[in-house]
This record gives sequence, C-alpha cells and structure tokens, in this order.
Amino acid sequence: MTTRARYRGGNYRRRSVGSQVILYATVTAVALWLIAPFLWLFVTSVSYQKNLLARPFTLVPPEVTLDNYRKILGLVRFHAEGQAGKILASMWNSLVVALVVTGVNLVMGTTAGYAYARFHFPLKTLSLFALLFTRMLPTIVLIPAFFLVFRALGLQNTLTGLVIAYCSFTLPFTVWIMKAYFETIPADLDKSALVDGCNRFQAYWRVVLPVSGPGLVAGGAFTFMLCWNEFVVAQILNTKPGTTTLPPVIAGMNGQINIDYSVIAASGFLGALFLGALPAVLLVLVFQKYMVQGLTAGSVKG
Amino acid sequence: MAWLFVGPALLGIGLVVTFPLVYSLWLSFTDVNLLRSTGPAVELWGMRIPLFRWIGARNYTQVLTDPLYWDSLWRTLYFVGAFVIEATLVGFGVALVLNERFPGRPLMRSLLLVPWSLSRIVVGLLWIGILDFEFGALNGLLLRAGLVDGAIAFFKEGWTALNVLVSVYMWNQAPFATLLFLAGMQSISEDLYAAAEVDGAGYWRRLWYVTVPALRPIVFLVLVLATVNGFLMLDLIYVLTMGGPAYDTTTVSWHGFKTSFTFFKFGPGTAILYTLTALCLLLTVVYHKLVLARFEAEG
Repeated sequence: MTTRARYRGGNYRRRSVGSQVILYATVTAVALWLIAPFLWLFVTSVSYQKNLLARPFTLVPPEVTLDNYRKILGLVRFHAEGQAGKILASMWNSLVVALVVTGVNLVMGTTAGYAYARFHFPLKTLSLFALLFTRMLPTIVLIPAFFLVFRALGLQNTLTGLVIAYCSFTLPFTVWIMKAYFETIPADLDKSALVDGCNRFQAYWRVVLPVSGPGLVAGGAFTFMLCWNEFVVAQILNTKPGTTTLPPVIAGMNGQINIDYSVIAASGFLGALFLGALPAVLLVLVFQKYMVQGLTAGSVKG
Repeated sequence: MAWLFVGPALLGIGLVVTFPLVYSLWLSFTDVNLLRSTGPAVELWGMRIPLFRWIGARNYTQVLTDPLYWDSLWRTLYFVGAFVIEATLVGFGVALVLNERFPGRPLMRSLLLVPWSLSRIVVGLLWIGILDFEFGALNGLLLRAGLVDGAIAFFKEGWTALNVLVSVYMWNQAPFATLLFLAGMQSISEDLYAAAEVDGAGYWRRLWYVTVPALRPIVFLVLVLATVNGFLMLDLIYVLTMGGPAYDTTTVSWHGFKTSFTFFKFGPGTAILYTLTALCLLLTVVYHKLVLARFEAEG
C-alpha cells in the first residue's frame, strides 16, 4: 500500500515503453483537439484576411497585426465601424445582466436550496419535482410569452427584461445545485448553532453560509457563464441596437461578412470573438476546481 | 418557517417560469396576431396582456399536417441520436485518457473546460474559421497536403452540413461528459482494480468489468442530458447553417424558432415548441424514474 495505492484507473505496473508512447500520443491528440480550434481563432484574429485566403496555406501567419483589435475598439476608422462599435457597449450589457442575474440567484436560490436540504415541509417533494422539470424545460417555449408580456410592460429592449427572462433558466438550476451542496455540509453544524442560541436564519446566515464558499462560487460562476454565453433569448427580446448583449452582436456581424465579403473586416470580426470568449474562459480556469466539485454535486446527485 | 426560505425563489420561479409556460400554452390555442391591438385581454395594474381568440387545436393540426414538421422531426431524431452517441463515446474515451497518470494532467483537465465554456456563437464562428470554403484552415491544410483536389464545401450539401453540426456540437459538449465520467472514475475503489489484476484481468477486461459497470449511473445521466440538449440546440444552427441548405439542417427547435420569431406566427410557433416541450417532459419523467431508482437502491 505504498506507491501502488497512488495509482489511479488501474495502472499498477510500470508502463512499457510502447504503451507510454501510445499514452503520450493520445494525450497530445486530445490536447490539440481541445484547444487547437481556439488557438486558431486567436491566430486569425491577429492575421490579415488576405493571408488567411492565401494558398498554399500556412499555419504560422506571415504577418502579425493588431489592426483587427484596433478596429473593433474604435481606434481606427474603417467601413464597417458601425457594427464593430457595438462590441464594447454590448460587452458592458452582457456584464451587467450576468452580474445582476448571478446576484439574484445567489440570494434567492441559495436560501431555497438550504431549506430543501434541511427542512421537511408540505409539498416539498412536489415542488422539487417541479424544479427538476423546469431544469429540463426548453427555455425557448417561454419566449413568446415573455415577448408579449414585455411588450405590454415596456420591458422589450431593456436589460431588466433580460434579467427576468434569464432567471427562468438559472434559478431552478441554482436551487438544485445549492441543495446538493448544502447536503454535503453536516447538519450537526446547524444544530450546534441552534443550541448555542441562534435562530434558524442566524444559523444559516452566520454559520452555514460562511463555510459554503466553494458551493457559492461554483453556483455563481456557472450562472454567470450561462448568462454571459446566452444567445437566443437576447437575440429575440432585445433587437434595438445598443440594447443587446455580446453574442447576438457577434452573430450579427457574422451575417455581415457573408454580405460584404470584406477582406479586412472578416479578421476584425473574428478578433471580436476572441474578446468575447476570453472572460468566460478566464472565469472557468480560475474557478475550475470549485466548478467541477459543484457541478458534479449538482448533477450527479440530481 | 421553511416557506420563508423557499418562498421567494418559488414565487420568482412561478412568475418567470410557470406563468410564461401557461401563457405560451394558451397562445398555442389562439390566433395570435401581433399587429392587432384590440380583442380580449387581461388588464392588470394598468398593463394589458392580450389573450387573442381561442381557435381550439387548429394550430396543432396545421403544424402536424405540415410535411416540413415531420421532416424536421426525423432529422432531429437523427441529429440527437448521432450527437448522443458521439458525445458519449468521445467523452468517455477522453475521460479514459485523462484518468491515466502523466505529467501535466491537471493542466489537461483545465483545457477540458475550454470548448465547453465558450459561447456557442463563438464555437460556431471558430469552426467557420476552420471549415470555411475560402479561408478555412482545414481546407488549407488538406489542399497543401494534396489530400483533396479542391476545397471541401462543408455547408453546401445538406447531409454533410447536418453531420458537421453534430460534430461541432459534440466538440462543445463532449468535454462536459468527460468531466462527469472523470468524477465517476475517481470514486471507483482502487481495491477493485487490484483484485481484478490479481485475477489476471488485463487493461480492457478491467475496463469492461470494473470501470463500465461502476459508471452506469453516470452513463445514464450523460445520455439524458445529451438527449435534451440535442433536442433544444439552436444557436449553432443560427451561426453555421440557418437551417439550410434548403431545409436540410432544420430541426424541430429551429422550425419552431423560425415560425415564431422570423415569421412571427406565434400560434403555430408555440404549438411546435410545445410538442418539443412534451418530449422533454417525457424525458424528465424517465430521468426522474432512473434517479429515484438509484436513491432507493442506495437506501
């Protein structure tokens, strides 16, 4: 039980040279499969379109340029600057919506998740089943209703409307994931807090929440990512220029490429994608330990 | 007391899920006309929510007698089937590789999150950079290696385009399956492998008789999640094919999306989307049964 026990997945014997070669070859292939497309996106974003179109093709671009980034940031003038100028504004919209939804989720979803993990109350099983159902519900089926109600309320083309609509698919998920997380925290912790004179709410707020960091980070990061990446709802509900989030703007520019076939703009738009993708990736890389822990807890214990 | 804790969330979910769900269901039985501002409506606190005119199941009969619906349903079934198989097999294969011991394994697990965490709009565009007829990197590489005579048009022919969609979606989703599989593999006891090895079982036998049976619940989970995701996928179609060429990549969800929000026929549109919802409900029931069975088995 010394070194052998540390091996995972059944590799007890020292590997032969042959199987080691196979392993490293496979690992390299998997790594390439995972990130090469994304790296290529970066390469295209710092290339000139004429070099991308050039044949024979080269993987290493002959010239590197930041022009595409200058264009989308509005530092230089070019013919499609109307579309590219929306990038920063829509990123700001994305950020506001994602942060507000995450906040709402953490306050409401976490509290409910705690109750589901700790209390027995009438209709608990029924409402849990309803939650599970809403998790599986296609969000798109709700959008015609949101469309008409928001039109009546004047919430079309507002960030408030998006926040409300996003809660429909994030809130049930947060409740579920937090319920699973709180179940991993011993109930004795709450009990001793109650014995020490806390009421239920104090036990939750002062004792349980402070030790729930990983669960909160995982739930929050996941909600943030869902909102940051969401496309269909924003595309339908917020059509007025300047009111929508990043993904619809990027998708719209993609449509423009096909019309214009403008050589310079194409790289610029691909450059925009890189900007859009970066925050989500950073978020996940920073928090990945918590993400994996929380997600598997939330979905496996389902 | 418990209701003070769950009340706000359940109330919120009631407002943003249950109410729109019921209202959408109602819409699917009416003659929605977005331009007409008169007609029956509910007035609440000064806002006027239109109810339109009840026309019974006419939207459903109209939708279900349209051959386009059935074509897109069969296409969806192919899409979902192919996607589920690809995502599960690739996700499992990658998990097997990443479960081995090698230097840099934590880094590899981080890389796993790259395809999955990207917005699918970005996923679509990044694959355009690779698959495009004119400037795509893959075509460039194939031409340069002399493997093809002319560039391949991945999105011009329906069958190819549909399968490209499957694979691109798989690239985005398989890493998530890998995450779940890896979590499952980590919880398998070392003793089982040791015992199997003492009994003379090689790598493949250990895989088949130890790893696979232990992962069965996770396999179920991955299958159900992938199935639901497959039925609902819209954004990649939007970026890559727009349901075309012709209708060759039009799935039921895309059909419903277009009917509702391109042609603004909310009646038939919600009817199509509700058939999709019914399918998801069915899957949820199956999923719930499986989960319940597990809970009972575990005690």
